[in-house]
Order: sequence, then structure tokens, then C-alpha cells
Amino acid sequence: MTELRSLRRRVELGLILLGTIITASAYALAGLGTTASLPADVVPFLGVVLALMIVAHLAVRRFAPNADGLMLPLAALLNGIGYVFVARLDTELAAPQATWTALGIAAFVATLIVVRRPRDLQRYRYTFLLVGILLLLLPFTPLGFENLGAQIWARIGPIAFQPGELAKLALLLFFAGYLVENRELLSVSTFKIGPLMLPDPKRLGPLLLALGAALVIFVYQSDLGPSLLLLMLFLVMVWVATERLSYLVLGSSLFALGAYVAYTQFSHVAPRFEAWLDPWNPDLVRGEAYQIVQATYALAQGGLTGTGLGLGNPERVPVVTTDFVFAAIGEELGLLGGTAVLICFLLLVGSALRLSIVADHAFDKLLAVGIATLIATQAFIIVGGITRLLPLTGIALPFVSYGGSSLVVNYVLLALLLRLSDDVTTRQLRRVEREAVPA
Amino acid sequence: MNRQIRRLTIAIMLCYLALFAQLNRVQIFDAQALRDNPDNTRDVLANYSRPRGTVSTIDGAVVARSVEVDTPLQRQREYPEADLFAQVSGFFSLHYGSTGVEQVYDEELAGQTPELELESLSDLFVDRDRSGSVVLSLRSDVQRVARDALGEREGSVVALDPRSGEILALWSWPSYDPNLISAPDIERASEARSLYLLDPADPMLGRAYQERYFPGSSFKVVVSAAGLESGRVTMDEPSYEPVSSWTPPLTTRPITNAGGAVCGGTLAEILRVSCNTAFAEMGALTLGPEVLAEGAEGFGFNGRPPIDLPAPARSVFPTDYGEPLSTPDLDDPDPDVAGTVYENTPALAQAAIGQHDVAATPLQMALVAAGVANGGVIMEPRVVHEIRNADGDLVERLQPSAWRQAMSPSNAAALRQAMIGVVTGGTAWRMAIPGYEVGGKTGTARVAEDVTSTHAWIVGFAGPQGETPHVAVAVVVLADEDVGEQAGGRVAAPVARAVLERALSPASPVRVDDPPDPSPDGAPDDAPDDAPDDAPDDAPE
Repeated sequence: MTELRSLRRRVELGLILLGTIITASAYALAGLGTTASLPADVVPFLGVVLALMIVAHLAVRRFAPNADGLMLPLAALLNGIGYVFVARLDTELAAPQATWTALGIAAFVATLIVVRRPRDLQRYRYTFLLVGILLLLLPFTPLGFENLGAQIWARIGPIAFQPGELAKLALLLFFAGYLVENRELLSVSTFKIGPLMLPDPKRLGPLLLALGAALVIFVYQSDLGPSLLLLMLFLVMVWVATERLSYLVLGSSLFALGAYVAYTQFSHVAPRFEAWLDPWNPDLVRGEAYQIVQATYALAQGGLTGTGLGLGNPERVPVVTTDFVFAAIGEELGLLGGTAVLICFLLLVGSALRLSIVADHAFDKLLAVGIATLIATQAFIIVGGITRLLPLTGIALPFVSYGGSSLVVNYVLLALLLRLSDDVTTRQLRRVEREAVPA
Repeated sequence: MNRQIRRLTIAIMLCYLALFAQLNRVQIFDAQALRDNPDNTRDVLANYSRPRGTVSTIDGAVVARSVEVDTPLQRQREYPEADLFAQVSGFFSLHYGSTGVEQVYDEELAGQTPELELESLSDLFVDRDRSGSVVLSLRSDVQRVARDALGEREGSVVALDPRSGEILALWSWPSYDPNLISAPDIERASEARSLYLLDPADPMLGRAYQERYFPGSSFKVVVSAAGLESGRVTMDEPSYEPVSSWTPPLTTRPITNAGGAVCGGTLAEILRVSCNTAFAEMGALTLGPEVLAEGAEGFGFNGRPPIDLPAPARSVFPTDYGEPLSTPDLDDPDPDVAGTVYENTPALAQAAIGQHDVAATPLQMALVAAGVANGGVIMEPRVVHEIRNADGDLVERLQPSAWRQAMSPSNAAALRQAMIGVVTGGTAWRMAIPGYEVGGKTGTARVAEDVTSTHAWIVGFAGPQGETPHVAVAVVVLADEDVGEQAGGRVAAPVARAVLERALSPASPVRVDDPPDPSPDGAPDDAPDDAPDDAPDDAPE
């Protein structure tokens, strides 16, 4: 048992060191590329990154010693590459992004300490629902403020953040808790609509109410990305929990209907759709499609190996530090760099999914699936949008984009995954030990 | 639930597979088309934002340089001398491409030659300023004298060193301001460009090397050289009968001498007084089309001079004069025998005095003078002297190389003496510079039936006594309706003399090491021309 534990942690430490070296090298190269000189602070930078990651690693050693050793290094690498790009694209964002990274690590450690058994969170499901809804409403209170036309910000003291990011986490916990409690009943059909068998509306009600409230608020804020993300998360979790395909079919049909209504009813949705289908339309190329066209040019400029860090012109893509950071990566690191980033996501999501398969408890399973879906979908929606595989929906690329709320929440999600992993592995090991001892 | 999770895993894998496929499409398969999309200004902006070296004259005047500006285009091209070097430097415009040295030496200025790109292994990792600077062979003082001497008359001046082919001055009026066309603002650039394009005087045309004119009597230098090279003419014979007019075979239209003068004699004499009747007869009968064409082509006619400027015009000497009809004293016409008459011998007689369809660029005529001056060897004309890197270290010095052997050294020496005679006692006397050996040939080319509409030409060379001349020059002043007849000796010779005189005096460096932003107006204005043209105006032409 201790053998596996120490092996996992040694691998983790080794990978963290490797990721830190990659990050520091990228930082040095970006400095060379933009100013033709090594950044003066490259050694302190290396020290700080290493210190942050070692803190996270030690916390895992102490509080989740049996956890998977791959996830933290993957997140650290994504975060490191993201930081290098944010700092290279906008030097003014370097300090806040570093602060947020430190806060993210703090939240990671705090989550590991506070959540000793993830299953206990199930008890607070309605609290999470309440917190989630309150967080979503926060921007409309006096604490909220508008920035760049989006009423999605709140300020507490000196810290400005997007409560919606935290709300996603609260709603995820509510979904998991509620579905575990009611999954038996939800999978029994009590009445029919046409060919579809549906469960008791009394059971479905709270769930739909919660989802509906969240969607209405997001749509009211004209923030399509989070609403799409939340809907996907909801559908996947209900489907996995109830094992009923009809939920997925019905949900997808409702989504299609909703999308159609949005397309015809909201003035800002139709042009986005047209920009996706025909971005080089002369009416759109300097307007609605400008971002996506510039991002496409950036990717094309990158080609296979990229222009080199600091040597491209990614600043020509609007909002490149947040929604479009992947376009900058594609330009300067090329197809190879972009693919590496996507593979990091795949490995991270894969680890989470594997975890959800081996977990025994339904809540653990659902939580892991939810987190995996959240990260996978988020990366898929934004990279798909930038590469014009999907219509563009602005959303942060987890761990990579500039943005504090997103970074902190993702580190909390990561901590939950590691806690789950530790829990599951510890239990498995105990079982193995028990069986190994002859009765 | 595990079955659903496995399916979800597969679904996510498929989604990411689609992402990889799409990423490959955008970054690999469609990448070239996307980069070439006219809407995509990335490459262009990157190209125009890169450091770009300076163009300066050999005496240090800045002709073109890049200044950093705070716009999407990070650098802008600036031409401190405005129109003075426009037709050499050309312009460098985001919207209209580039011309001149900016075009021909683009790779050097942008730092894209292997010599500039990779000086040491560490360069692979460092984004240093790789741009190269181009040092022109032109001298700003000579160029200024050419501009001032020509004044507001339409025309061209080309001065070069016959020994190396390096061009010292290349000026034509009207000229244009490359700053206006290189403006990053498309509306301003477009306005300036259409203004220039609509101007009937066509200021953007590099007349000195891109436009050709009747060379008139200045072409007699080529005819003389052709005669000497063929051996059918020597300095002593034949001696042409002094006449006031001569009518070629197969026509009734006589060729006359300027002012109805009577002239004739041997080569030096007919060259000295620019005798039309003698040269017409020499070209049409003594030499014939093949010898003349061969002689002209030996000087570069019917070909493009290998100058390092874009699109030099081809000077022409027509070669088709029909079938030979008769040869004196023979039953059958023999093209190899002097005196053979062709179907179009009257045109050949005109061509021999630089009329008919003969057309030459001022550059070509300067090369003719240079060939005679340089023992018959015409060097490749060059406007660039050397390339330096961003630190000012020499990267490459352009080596002179011979373009053509127009005539033998002995014939060249003889013709050179004859041309010196044209200055000391003939039509080009206004070109004489005390203390120097100066040779020349005037030309007055009729451009229309109207005899008063003429281009004034002069070609020549000058240098210290007994040495290979240091400077060759060609000047053309175009016909001007308001002025009437313009004889080369009166109109063009003073211009040539001023240019030669300045070019013979040593160059004084304007600014040796030029910082990027010196005082707005570069060199101090030239000292006033200390040799006013005090010659009487009623001298013989």
C-alpha cells in the first residue's frame, strides 16, 4: 500500500518538475521572442512556479496520498503555458494572473483540507442549490457591476470576480446530490408523452426548476457559453444517473428547440450563426465574424510548428487573453503545440472518467463524471468555436485563459477529483489487502 | 452507470477527434489558402512592420529610412530628400508594392539574404535586427547639381563612372515624392498616386532609364564606332565631299545640315561639326545595315542594360531594311560590299543620324559615352555600391563587371580623341572644363515634322589629362513647344558641364555615421555654382 502511494507521489513530483521546466523555458523563449533578451526575472519566476507547485504537491501528499499522480501535473502544465501566453500577450495581466494562480493553489489546498470525504457533500445539496442561485443573482445586486457590456461581475472588497463560475460548481454539486437521492425514482416511468416515457413530474420538478432558473439568468445576461455548458452538464449527469436514453433524446430535442427560438428571437444569435457558416461574407468579415476570422488567420499563420513563442502577432485577435487564448497558442506553437494542449485536456478528462468508473459510490461517480464533463465540454466548446467546428460561444479555456474566477474554480474541481481518487484507491487497496489475508 | 460513462468517454473522444481533424484542416490543409486570402493582411503587416534598412548615398545622405510609429503598422518608410532620389530609391508602399532600389534590393533591406540572416549560430534563437543597409553609388552633391542644372525643363541626366559602371547621378524631371505614396493611410496614398498617374507629365516614370527618345546626332558616336570597328572607316578615310545636302538613293528627299551649312571631310572633322550629310552617306552606303546594327548592338541597343533598377527600357536600332537591290560595279547585289543599296536605304540614312526608328534611353547614351571613354569596354551600370548590416559592418561590395566590349581599345582611343575635338573646337565647346580632358557629342533630335520641335542631347566624358575619364554623362532636354528649337550644344551642354565638374571634384561626406533622426533637412545646400556659364551665346553650333 505504501509502495503504490510513494510511487504515485514520486511520479507526480517528477512530472511537476518537468512541467515547471517546460513553463520556465517557454517563459524565457517568449521573452527572447518579444524583446530579444532573456526576461530578467526568469530565475525568480522559476522559483515561484516551483514553490507553488511543491505546495500543492505536499498538500496532496498529506491529504490525498493515494490520489492519481497525473492530474495535478497536467493542470500545472496547462496553467503554466496559459500564464506564459497571458504574460506575453499583455504584460499588465501577468501580475493579476500570478495572484489568481496563487489563490487557485490556496483554494486547491483548502478544498483538500476541508473536504475529507466528498460523499459528505451530498448532504448539502439544497444548500448548494441556494448558493448557486444566489451567486447567479449576485451581479444584479449592488455588489455587481457591468464590464465590457456583460452584467456578470461582482466585487467583494478589492476582488472582482464572475460569480457564474462559482455557481457552476454549486449547481454541479446540487445535481450530483439530488440525482443520487432520486435516481431510482427518476428512472421509473409513470406517464407517457407520445413514445417517450417520463417519470413522476414531482421528482423531475426541482431539477428542471433549478436548471430553468440558471438558464434564464444566463440568457438574460446574454452569456450563451455558460448556459450551453450548464445544459450539457445537466443532460449528461441525468443520463448517467438514470441510465435512461430518453432523457438525453428529450433534452437534446429541447435544446434544439431552444436554439431555434434563440436564433429567431435574439438579435445577437442569428449573426453569430451566420458568422459561423460564412465568416468571409463581406457584411460580416469586419463585423460579427471579425474575431473568428482573425483567429482563423492566426491559426493558419502558425501552421505545423508555429511562428515561435513571442514571434507571432496574436495580439491582432480580439480578446485573445481570455476566450481566444487557444488561437495565440495555435499561432505561436503551431498545430503541435495546440495538439499538446488538447491532449493534456484529454488525459485529465480521461483520468477523471476512469475514476468515475472505478468509484463504488453513486455520488462519487456522478461527481467525477460531472467534473470531467465540465472540463471536457468547456475546452471543446471554446476550441471548437475558435476552429469553426462549432458556432462561437465565448467561454474560458480551463486553467489556460486569463481569469481569476475560472482558475480558482478549476483548482477546486481538481482538488475534488484528487480527493475522490484518494478515497477510491484507498478503499480498493484495503479490499485487496483484506482479500489477500487468508480467512 | 458504468455503461453510460463508457459511452460518454467514447463520445468525448469523438468530439476531440473532430477537434484534431478541424485543427489539422485549418493549420495545415487550408493554411496556405488562408494566408493568401486578400482579406488577410497578417503577412503584409508583418512584412511592413519589420525593421528595414536605410538607403543612403555614398557620401552619406539618407535617401530612405524606416521610422517607428505607433500604428498597426509599426514602421513607416520615410524619404528625407523627397523627390531628389525618387527614381532611384522608388517607393515602399503597403498598398502599391515597391519600385526602384526598394524593390530590387528588398531582400537585403529586409534582411532576408543568407549573409544577413545567419551571422552566427546564436542568431537562430535571437530576434535581432537583421536588416541590411544599401549604400548607393550615387553622390548627393552630383545629383543636386543635376537637378539644379536641369531646372524645370523636362529631361534626364545620367552620370556614371565609366571605369566601374557605378552611377553617380540619375535624375529626371518631373519627379515625385515617394513619401506620399508610401503613406500607410490608403486614402492619402491613393490620392497622391492618382494625382501622379493623371499628370500628363508622368512624374513617376523613371525617364532616365525607362523612357527612350530619338538620340539625334548623339547617335553619330555609335555610327563612328561601327565604322571604325568594321574597318570601312578610319580616321583618315574616306573623306566625304563637303556638301550642304545629300539625297540618299531611292528617294527625292534630301538630308541637310544644320543651318544649311556645307560640311564634309574625314571622321574627326565630320564629328566635330556634326555633319548630317556625311554621316547619312556613311551609314547608308559606306557601312550598310548589318555593320550599323552590329555596331549599335555592340553598345547594347536592342537589349536591356543590366542595371540594378527594375524594368529598364530596351533601346532600339531597327535592323530590317529590306532586300539588297544593287551593288555598284557588281551584277548581283552583295551585302558584304560597301555601297549596296537596300529597299529601305533612305530610312537607314535617317537612322545613321539618330532619326527614323532609332530610340535610346539617356542611360543607354551615357553607356555609349562610357564605352568610348573606357577603352571600348562598357561596365554593367549599378546604382548600388555596397550592402552593410544593421551594425554598419560591410556585408557585400558589388564588384564591377564588364557588360560589353563595344570596340577595340585602339579604335576607342581614336574615337575618344575625336570626341575631345568636338569639345575643344566643335559643337560641344560649352562642355569644356579648364584643366580637364573633356569629350562629347551634341545632338538635336527632331521629334516631329515641325523643325522647331527638338530634343537637345549631349553625351560626353571628362577626366584628368591623359587618364581614363572618371565620369561619363548623358543629358537630354525634351522638346518644349514654348521654347522652340533646342540645340544640344546650347541647351544640354551647360547641364552636362555642371554635372561633370561637380563629379570630378572630390566628394565631401555629408554625414558619415548617420543617426536615425538627424536634423530634418539633411545636407547643407550645395555651394553656389562657382562656374557661371559666361560663354557668349552666338557661337557656332
